Amino acid sequence: MLPLAFSVSELAQQVVFGLAMGGVYASLALALVLIYRTTRVVNFAQGEMAMFTTFIAWTLTENHGFGFWAAFFVTIGIAFLLGVGVERIVIRPFGHASHLTIILVTIALFVVFNGAAQWIWSPESRAFLGPFSAQPFDVGGIAIARQDLGVIAVTLISVTILWAFFRFTKLGLAMRAAAIGPDQSRLLGVRVPWMYALGWGFAAVLGAVSGMMVAPIVFLSPAMMQAVLIYAFAAAVLGGIESPVGAVVGGLLLGVGTTLLGAYAGVTPELELPIAFVVLVLVLLFRPAGLFGRVIVRRV
Amino acid sequence: MRDAARWVGYAVLLVVIAVLPFLVSDFRASQFALVGVFAIALIGLSILTGYTGQISLGHGGFMAIGAYTTAILSTTYGLNDLLTVPIGGVVAGIVGFLFGFPALRLAGVYLALATFALAVIVPSVAIALGDRAGGTAGIILDLPTSPIGALSPDRWLYYVTWAIAIVLFVVAVLFVRGRRGRALRAIRENELAAVAGGVNLTHYKTLAFGVSAFYAGVAGSLYAILNFIVAPGAFPITLSILLLAGLVIGGAGSFLGVLAGAAFVQFVPLYAGDVMGRVTDAAQAVRLPVGDVDPTTPGVPSVVYGLILLVVLFAAPNGVAGLVRRLRGKLRIF
Amino acid sequence: MPLLELEDVQARYGPIVALHGVSLTVDEGEVVAILGANGAGKTTTLRAISGMVATSGRIAFAGRPLARASPEGVARLGVAHVPEGRGILTELTVWENLRMGAYMRRGGEVKRDLEQMVDHFPWIEERRNQQAGTLSGGEQQMLALARALVARPKLLMLDEPSLGLAPLIVQELFRVVTRLNEEEGLTVLVVEQNANIALGVSSRAYVLEVGRVAVEGPSEELRTHEGVRRSYLGY
Repeated sequence: MLPLAFSVSELAQQVVFGLAMGGVYASLALALVLIYRTTRVVNFAQGEMAMFTTFIAWTLTENHGFGFWAAFFVTIGIAFLLGVGVERIVIRPFGHASHLTIILVTIALFVVFNGAAQWIWSPESRAFLGPFSAQPFDVGGIAIARQDLGVIAVTLISVTILWAFFRFTKLGLAMRAAAIGPDQSRLLGVRVPWMYALGWGFAAVLGAVSGMMVAPIVFLSPAMMQAVLIYAFAAAVLGGIESPVGAVVGGLLLGVGTTLLGAYAGVTPELELPIAFVVLVLVLLFRPAGLFGRVIVRRV
Repeated sequence: MRDAARWVGYAVLLVVIAVLPFLVSDFRASQFALVGVFAIALIGLSILTGYTGQISLGHGGFMAIGAYTTAILSTTYGLNDLLTVPIGGVVAGIVGFLFGFPALRLAGVYLALATFALAVIVPSVAIALGDRAGGTAGIILDLPTSPIGALSPDRWLYYVTWAIAIVLFVVAVLFVRGRRGRALRAIRENELAAVAGGVNLTHYKTLAFGVSAFYAGVAGSLYAILNFIVAPGAFPITLSILLLAGLVIGGAGSFLGVLAGAAFVQFVPLYAGDVMGRVTDAAQAVRLPVGDVDPTTPGVPSVVYGLILLVVLFAAPNGVAGLVRRLRGKLRIF
Repeated sequence: MPLLELEDVQARYGPIVALHGVSLTVDEGEVVAILGANGAGKTTTLRAISGMVATSGRIAFAGRPLARASPEGVARLGVAHVPEGRGILTELTVWENLRMGAYMRRGGEVKRDLEQMVDHFPWIEERRNQQAGTLSGGEQQMLALARALVARPKLLMLDEPSLGLAPLIVQELFRVVTRLNEEEGLTVLVVEQNANIALGVSSRAYVLEVGRVAVEGPSEELRTHEGVRRSYLGY
C-alpha cells in the first residue's frame, strides 16, 4: 500500500498537518486532565461545551462583525465563565454523590449542550473562517500550510501560558495544592471549592481553544467535537490520565499517527476513528498506565 | 401481602399490553411496539449498568449491530426476518462479550468513554463497509407482513415484540437470581471486596457485557424490522445516551422501571418539542419574557430530556420506579 | 478575654459522638496542652475548632464565634492548624509548601518571613526543590511547623507533633516552639500523647477521657500529682 516513492515535502506537509490536529486533540485532552486532576471528575461534556463556545465565536464573527481574534478572546472569557458557572450551578449541588451519578450528570450536560446548539444554530455544518491566510509558508523549499502552523502555534502558546500559570503564580500553586490535598489546603486558607470552579473555568478555556482551532478545518457543526472528544480521551489515556505532559504528547502522536495512516496506508476517513479506538484498546490491554502515567485503571 | 400486590400489578400490566393494540390505531400500535423494543434494550442495559455498575454509552451501537445483521441477512440472504432476530442478538452479544475484556481494565468514566467511542464507531464501520452494508443510504428491508389474517402487520409485530420482551424479562430475572445476582451486585458495590469474596471478576463482567449486548442486539433486530430501514444515521450517539437516560429516569431493575424508561425513550423525543411549545405558551400567557418555540426544532427534545435527567439525578436517583417504591413504602404504613 | 474559648462543645462523626461537652480556654501568650489516651477526643477537639467536624456548643476565637465557619474561614482568622500526620503536600516541593503557608498574606514582608524560616531551619535551603514527600518524618514535621508559622498565626495548633519521630528531633521541635512562644508571644495549643514532654512545654493542660475533660490544671501540678499521672497519663 505504500507508494514506491514518496516525496519528503509531502511527508513534511502531512506531519505538520498531523501536528496541528494533534494540537487540537491535545488541548481538549489537557482540559480533561485538568478537571480530572483537580476534581477527580472526567467531564463528559467537555467537547460539547467546547463546541458551544465555538458557536458563540462564530456568532460574534458572523452576526456582530467581530474579527477572528477579537471573537477568540471574548469567547475565551465567556468559556471561562461558562466553565465556572457549570461547576458551581450543576456539579457542586451534587456534592459527594457517587461517581456513577457524577458521570451521568456530565452526560446529561453533554445532552443539554448538544441539544441547545442544535436548537439555537441548527444541526447543519457551516464554514468558520479561520484567521490564517491560505498562502503557504515556504520552509526550505517546502510549502507548509499557514493554517497548520498557526494552529500549532496557538496550541503551544495556550498550553505554555497555562503551564506558567500553574508553575509560577500563587493561585496556580493553590489550585495544585487543592488538588493534592484539599483538607490540608483548607487549613491553609485556600477556598477549595472555588479552586474547583476555577479548574473548570480553565478547562473550558482549553476546550474553546481546541474548538476554535478545529472549526476552520472540519467545518462547524453541533457534532463537530464528538470525534475530537474520542481522540482527546485516547490521548489522555495514552499519556496517563493524570499527566498533562502525557496528554499533550499523546495528542500529538495521535494526530500525526492518524494523518500518516490516512495519507500513506490508504485508511479512509471513516476508518481513522475506529483505528484510533483499536489502538486505544490495545494500549489499555498492554500498558494501562499509558506512556507517562501511574497505573490508574484498576487491575483486580 | 406485598407479593400479592405485585402479582396483581403484573397481571394488570399484561392485560393492558395484550389489549392495547385494539384500543389504538395501527400507527400507535407500532409506536408501542417500539416501546417494547426499547424495553428489551433497557433490560439488557439494566443487567450491565444496574447490576454490575458498568456504564455503557454503547448500547445504541449494539442495537445497530443487531439491526445490520438482520438487514443484511434478510435482504442479501433472504432469511425470514424474524428468524434473524436471535442471530442479531448473538452477533451483538459476541461483540459485547469481546468488548468486555478490554473493558475490564477500565472503570467508571473511562468505560463510559470507551463505550461512547464504540457507539460512534459502529455507524462509521457500516459506512466503511460500503455496498455490502448499504453505505450511507442504508438498507431497506421488505415491508413486514402478518401471518395472521386478523392482525395487521403493525399489530402482529407489536405482539411479537412484546412476547419477546416478556420472555426476555423473565429470563433476565432468572439470570440475576441467587448467587449470580449477588455476585453481579457485589461488583457494583465494591469490586475489591467482591474479589476478596471470591467473585471471578473477569467471568462476570464479560458475561454481563455479552448478555447485555445480546439484548440490545435483539432489540436492534426488531427495530430494523419495525422500521424496515437501517441506515447509519438511525444510530447516532444520542440514541445510546437516550437509552442510558431512560434507564436512570425509569429506574433500573424492575419491570415498571424498564417500562417507564422505554416509554421515555420512545415518546420524549417525539413530544418534547410540543411540551416545550406549550410550556412557553403558558409562560407567555403569564407575561414571562420567553420566546416562541417551534416544536419541530431539532435539539429541543435533547435539552428537555437532558434537564429532566439532571432533575431526576438530583431528586430521585432511583428513577420513577424508585419513586413508586418509596411511595408504596409510605402507603404501606397505612 | 481568652483568645480561644470552648464551652460545652459536642462533636460527632455521623452517628458517633466523639466529644461529649468539652470546655477549655487558651489565653494569649500561653502554651496549653491537651492530653489523653488514643480515642479520647484530642484530635477531634482541634478539628472542631477548625470547623472540620459538625459541632454544637460555643467556640469563640478572639471573641468571634466560630460556629459555622469553614476550615478556610477559621484559618483566615489567624488559626494555624498542623494536623496529625503533618499534612504536608507531598507532591509539591519544600519551597512550594512554604509558599502555601503564606497564601493568606500579602505584601513584601512575606519574602522576609520565608527567609526567616530558612534561618530557623537551615536545611530548607538545600532542599528547596526537593519533593516534600521524600523528606524524613522529622523534616516533614519541621516543614509543617515552618509552613504554619509563615502565616503569622495568632494561634498555633499542633496535633501530635511527636508522633513517629525520634526523641532528639521531638526535643528540637519543642525547643523551637518554646522559643517562639517566649520571644514572640506565640499562643500554642498542642495535642500530645507524649504527656511528659507536653507538660514540660506547657503552662496548663487538659486531660481528655472519652470525649470529656477529666482533669485540668497547671502543668506543674499535673506533672507531680501521682494520682493523675497514674490514672490518666500512664506513668
